[in-house]
Amino acid sequence: METRRNRLSDIMLYLLRAVSILLMISLVLPAFNPARLSALISKDSALLTISLSYTSLKGGFTRAINRGWVEESTITLIFLASVVITLGIAMLSAGCFMTLGKLRFQKLGARLAAIGSAIGMPGLIMLIPAYIAMSQTGNPVKVQPMLPIGIYVLFGLLALNLAISLITAIKLPKPQATDRYEMEPKYQLFLMILPFVILTLVFAYLPLWGWRYAFFNYKPGLGLNEFVGLKWFTFLFENPATRRDIARVITNTLAMSGIGIATSWLPMAFAIFLAEIKSARVSRMVQTFTTIPNFISWVLVYTFAFALFSTEGFVNSMLIDLGIIEKGRNFLMDGDHIWLKMWAWNTWKGLGWSAIIYIAGISGIDQQLYEAATIDGAGRFRKMWNITVPGLIPTFSVLLLLSIAGILSNGMDQYFVFKNSANKTTIEVLDLYVYTLGLGSGGSGNIPLATVVGMLKSIISVTLLFTANRISKLVRGETIV
Amino acid sequence: MDAAYNTKQSRKPLKTRKHRYMRAKGDIIFNIINYTVFILFTLICIFPFYYLLINTISDNELVRTGQIKLYPIGIHFKNYLALVNVNNLGASVMVSVARTVIGTATMVLASAFVGYLVTKRNMWGRRFIYRLLIITMYFNAGLIPWYLNMSMLGLTNNFWGYIIPGIVAPYNIILVKTYIESIPAELEESAFVDGAGYFTIFRKIIWPLSKPILATIAIFGAVGHWNSFTDSMILMSGKPELYTLQYRLYIYLSSTSNLSALMNSGGSVNESVLNAALNMRTVKLTVAMVTIIPILLVYPFMQRYFEKGIMIGAVKG
Repeated sequence: METRRNRLSDIMLYLLRAVSILLMISLVLPAFNPARLSALISKDSALLTISLSYTSLKGGFTRAINRGWVEESTITLIFLASVVITLGIAMLSAGCFMTLGKLRFQKLGARLAAIGSAIGMPGLIMLIPAYIAMSQTGNPVKVQPMLPIGIYVLFGLLALNLAISLITAIKLPKPQATDRYEMEPKYQLFLMILPFVILTLVFAYLPLWGWRYAFFNYKPGLGLNEFVGLKWFTFLFENPATRRDIARVITNTLAMSGIGIATSWLPMAFAIFLAEIKSARVSRMVQTFTTIPNFISWVLVYTFAFALFSTEGFVNSMLIDLGIIEKGRNFLMDGDHIWLKMWAWNTWKGLGWSAIIYIAGISGIDQQLYEAATIDGAGRFRKMWNITVPGLIPTFSVLLLLSIAGILSNGMDQYFVFKNSANKTTIEVLDLYVYTLGLGSGGSGNIPLATVVGMLKSIISVTLLFTANRISKLVRGETIV
Repeated sequence: MDAAYNTKQSRKPLKTRKHRYMRAKGDIIFNIINYTVFILFTLICIFPFYYLLINTISDNELVRTGQIKLYPIGIHFKNYLALVNVNNLGASVMVSVARTVIGTATMVLASAFVGYLVTKRNMWGRRFIYRLLIITMYFNAGLIPWYLNMSMLGLTNNFWGYIIPGIVAPYNIILVKTYIESIPAELEESAFVDGAGYFTIFRKIIWPLSKPILATIAIFGAVGHWNSFTDSMILMSGKPELYTLQYRLYIYLSSTSNLSALMNSGGSVNESVLNAALNMRTVKLTVAMVTIIPILLVYPFMQRYFEKGIMIGAVKG
């Protein structure tokens, strides 16, 4: 009898956790937002968003309230209802996690889950009068009152959860007097890391849900309105203007990454030749000052470019003084050789910093090798080439593989700050293009197309990375990621 | 010369005077070139900082017309005082400082704690959780889905949009984890036997012992927060009072960085707007200097953490 009751409560506990997790997910998924009673609430806002910010909820209704289409009290009611539902779900989540503990915790958890579900349901019911008030609006076309599917889904789930948690709470055996609030270490650790896992899920994995934008038409404010399948994928390759853009942007990206990869031996050379400087003071000074530029932002690098190369800048003043030119001109507005200029700024900023890993590598090379080579009569260059370089090659090859894997990702900061009307065709790299296409034009961007480009970029990058990893495993017998 | 010499002679011990002489001569030439190249590059690296500095403290009219080249003329510090009058600058400084302090503190705490937790092999689902965290270093959904996600969560035009996404930093978690694994396990075990819980062990043992690595990630995190501007531009577009200093500087810079404004050498328009002694060029450069100063101040303390920081690329999960 005892074992049967335990098995039933065990099954119930699993069910309780499953339903609770569904409820937690529905909190962040806009598709199941029960509070979206009007088209004036963005299709992209989740229940959690609404319950967190009254001002942004009200913001959408500013016009409707001013014109008297909607009462402000209705909005307040929606907000309160969202808060109540969110609180309920938060409580049942806490209960759900407590069930990982031993008997006393399980009992308490089941009770909390029951209370949470019981709190959430009236929250949903509060939405009904809000809906009725909303449907008596003076302007049904603009306000578009609606009963979202989320209300039914959430109500069903909450009711189910309430039933399950009540059964669990009843069916769980009565704790003995000796039982205490205890949890196995493995679950304790799990619960401690859980908040951070949730943060990761929300900020790194939930965006993947945004890939669906690639398959829809998107209007700002209205959200996704119609499923268009692969329309934007074919558009990307069939629309001549877009195709030209993409070809240009890919050329820029590959060219600039290519120049970077072709000169990726520079930091290694920097470190090797720096090691030949025997004066510790000079060597330390060089290291100190060549590393500083790495720590300033690209905006500041651009400020330097502005200070030095603009019409009144240093370079012009010097050239005029030397009589080479008569009148200053703005070198920043010169669109020639942008790839090389960008490479030069990148090198200025990063060379000293990138060399550090090699400097550390050199200090790790066995000094006896050099001594032996000296005795054998090896000169400076022979030692550099036959001892130092081979000692650094493993590091170099890892970094090289990683930079090949990242060939499409040069970031946008640098190119964004240096971009102007004279160089915009040759400076635009893939990351900058995605930004400009989707967000850079003040709300009129093509979100679906930008999503498609970004999505393809992500997929290609990951494929490259895994290929690089595989190559590394074959050649060096070691993985890089 | 040296290379050719090496290929022929290197196998034999060098005894003769001629050989010694040649080697010494080669060495001297090599050293001269080597020192020259490095010192030149070093000068190129620091000259912009120096040039910026002398332009912010020199006579403003000379600065506007580009007369300040290698040394300051007519030194004064009015420009720095005048920044008080520059619109929005104070708010941006506050935002930048706040996000740097709060963002770094939360990130360091989280990295330390998560880094400690993932060393615990008995955690339920540890391998899966660890992979889940690490994969995000190599893969992301892309800018647009990230932005839409932030907007869905109500973190656009919201200060916490700077902080919350940066709390979990997988790179730093790996660094801390690797470091904690090097701490002798007996320390922790003895505390465990004494009945300490995970929180107590973390607070009393792990945190104090891993201070070097925490300092490293704190410094790099702070510099990252201080320097970032694209998130300001993307997320806070509807709330200029939340712009960071870096983005504010970019706005000042680009306010005349379009073709026509840079062609006529500026100045006259801005004098009416700002203090008469100022001009657009000095304002831009002075704001830039203010933006750099914190970095230069922490730089000496950062240096000893460089190696640990750069090894980020070399460590693996």
